Amino acid sequence: MQRRSLLKLSLVSGVVLALAGGAAVLLQPGLEQGRLSASARELFTSLGRAILQGTLPADAQARSRALAGMVDRMDALVANLPPTVQAELSQLVGLLCTAPGRLGLAGLVPAWADASEAQVQAALESMRFSSLTLRQQAYLALHEMVGGAYFSDESTWASVGYPGPLVL
Amino acid sequence: MSNFPDPIRAGLERGWKVLGGAHGPLPEKISCDVAIVGSGAGAGITAELLTRAGLDVVIVEEGPLKSSSDFRQRESEAYPTLYQESASRKTADKGISILQGRCVGGSTTVNWTSSFRTPEPTLRYWEQHFGLDDFGREALAPYFEQAERRLNISPWLMAPNENNELLRRGADKLGIPSAAISRNVKGCWNLGSCGMGCPTNAKQSMLVTTIPAALDLGATLLVEARAEQLVLAGGKVQSLRCIAVQPNGAPVDAGQPATTIVAKHFVLAGGAINSPAVLMRSKAPDPHGRLGTRTFLHPVVMSAAVLAQKVEGWAGAPQSLYTDHFMDTQPIDGPMGFKLESPPLHPVILATTLPGYGQAQADLLTKFPHTHVLLALLRDGFHPEAPGGRVQLRGDGSAVLDYPLTDFVMEGARRALLAMAEIQFAAGAQEVLPVHEMARPYRSWAEAKSAIEALAMKPLLTKVVSAHVMGGCGLAGSEALGVVRPNGVHWQIENLSVHDGSVFPTSVGANPQLSIYGITNRLGQGLAKRLTGASEALA
Repeated sequence: MQRRSLLKLSLVSGVVLALAGGAAVLLQPGLEQGRLSASARELFTSLGRAILQGTLPADAQARSRALAGMVDRMDALVANLPPTVQAELSQLVGLLCTAPGRLGLAGLVPAWADASEAQVQAALESMRFSSLTLRQQAYLALHEMVGGAYFSDESTWASVGYPGPLVL
Repeated sequence: MSNFPDPIRAGLERGWKVLGGAHGPLPEKISCDVAIVGSGAGAGITAELLTRAGLDVVIVEEGPLKSSSDFRQRESEAYPTLYQESASRKTADKGISILQGRCVGGSTTVNWTSSFRTPEPTLRYWEQHFGLDDFGREALAPYFEQAERRLNISPWLMAPNENNELLRRGADKLGIPSAAISRNVKGCWNLGSCGMGCPTNAKQSMLVTTIPAALDLGATLLVEARAEQLVLAGGKVQSLRCIAVQPNGAPVDAGQPATTIVAKHFVLAGGAINSPAVLMRSKAPDPHGRLGTRTFLHPVVMSAAVLAQKVEGWAGAPQSLYTDHFMDTQPIDGPMGFKLESPPLHPVILATTLPGYGQAQADLLTKFPHTHVLLALLRDGFHPEAPGGRVQLRGDGSAVLDYPLTDFVMEGARRALLAMAEIQFAAGAQEVLPVHEMARPYRSWAEAKSAIEALAMKPLLTKVVSAHVMGGCGLAGSEALGVVRPNGVHWQIENLSVHDGSVFPTSVGANPQLSIYGITNRLGQGLAKRLTGASEALA
């Protein structure tokens, strides 16, 4: 058990180094010209499914549409972030979209698109309560982005009982 | 689009001098009497006073010029266009989320209208510790009175919404006094959308009061223009270099200064993160290492409760009741005191603030109409273990605030979570959730109490936010204690003043809007007098 923890820690330390710039060239950036890359869209679809479980529409088709809408809105949100925040996010997302990064940072074995909701939730839980600041920061950023992008659209308001603003 | 008259569009049609973004290219060079950086609380008051004194003023704002016709009460539009970093500004370790305006009118365009004069214990502390001898209650009273008259600041007489009423109900049960908050509104529709820009122009922000007044008196407003650097020589500012920026703050033309402003006097009023950053980028003298230090946030922790009845925290005046009980009952320089208020609730702000995911989060969110939230503003800056944070520059020159959440601060946060949960149960809450990653909804005060006492009060686990950035260019009666003199002029640069929340030597201990209005009103009148010999007053 202890050996496994150590292994995990060294892997994450490698990740930290990569974030510091050392191995950044090996990564595909998560953002391309300020927009989400194809693998970033997959990542956020998978995260959306897990984070919004219980909130998303029950019907499979409606659920897919809701998730696609969320990712489109996230794309717009990302384009509006200042360059320094975009650069940081691009590294984080790029890292999560590589197999070592996914394992090291999120502790997730299967690819994002193949992982079940429960597997992604377990990954989120390990980040959320990690003793490594970087993993906690990543969890909070992903959580905030998914919730923000999803509930920014009027189509989602009924699910939380919000009637929308008074029409003037 | 609303059907209300739009004073900004009307002003533009009258021929206001506005340049930048869609309003036309920034001039390569512009000369004036006074250049003001920013267009928020301090900038607006100063611009009105100086233009009334007959001075030629140029106002430089990084954000866009938006107005009532653009304000559609949607978070999806408001956060990206009206807030710093799309409302996702964070401290260096991501431990605190900061809501700060970035548009014409600054934070006054998007704040929740809460108006308090600077508390007397705060002023006394400034006198004793920062040599501000003439900042007593009486000395400032006329300046507050003028600001209150000009901006229609008065106690809110309508019945509070249920979200606020619950604070009073719970506090009453516990024998804790609460009181009404004054608001800067005229003909308010009680929509609850203040944080997204006022669609009816009822909120008397700088966007609809002082900035239009200054533009009518001939001031020039440059928008989507970032004050990059002051050019300093011989103890004076020679000019200000600005660059044109895109909506996300990226330079339109990297490395190219768009505008050089030459002025007799310069006023920094860009807020407590950006004003120190301009001085740092300009390599301003800082012999005592004060610049950008002692930056305060009133770190805020929150407690959510579910009631049997509907609360609908999105409807009605956002903040209308408060209690200072947990400030007034302990010494200002002891363990951290805190002010309690009820914030407005909307879907995005709620979903990004409440902890958890999956079914647990879904359960919380479906109770949204029955959800009530209290927040505690922690009074930082009065104790050696609460020295605030430090503004730093990243490699690209952009500003970031390093604000360590010390054990001392987090101990105050724990007491605040306890106080809020107790009030919420007293008000009839069925369950209370301290906003913390390790907490869960508790069904009784006894259960909540023992759980909160055992919570790990660590950054990133405890949700901490702020909408009050103060300090970093502190006022002081002697050069060693601050960045600017008691009259707002920089200690080492004779033709440079700072007129915004960055001049406060500590946090205010109350929502800072009226403190900025009142104090910059005095600083602005002094500046107008020195530059023109004329006596000007607000209203």
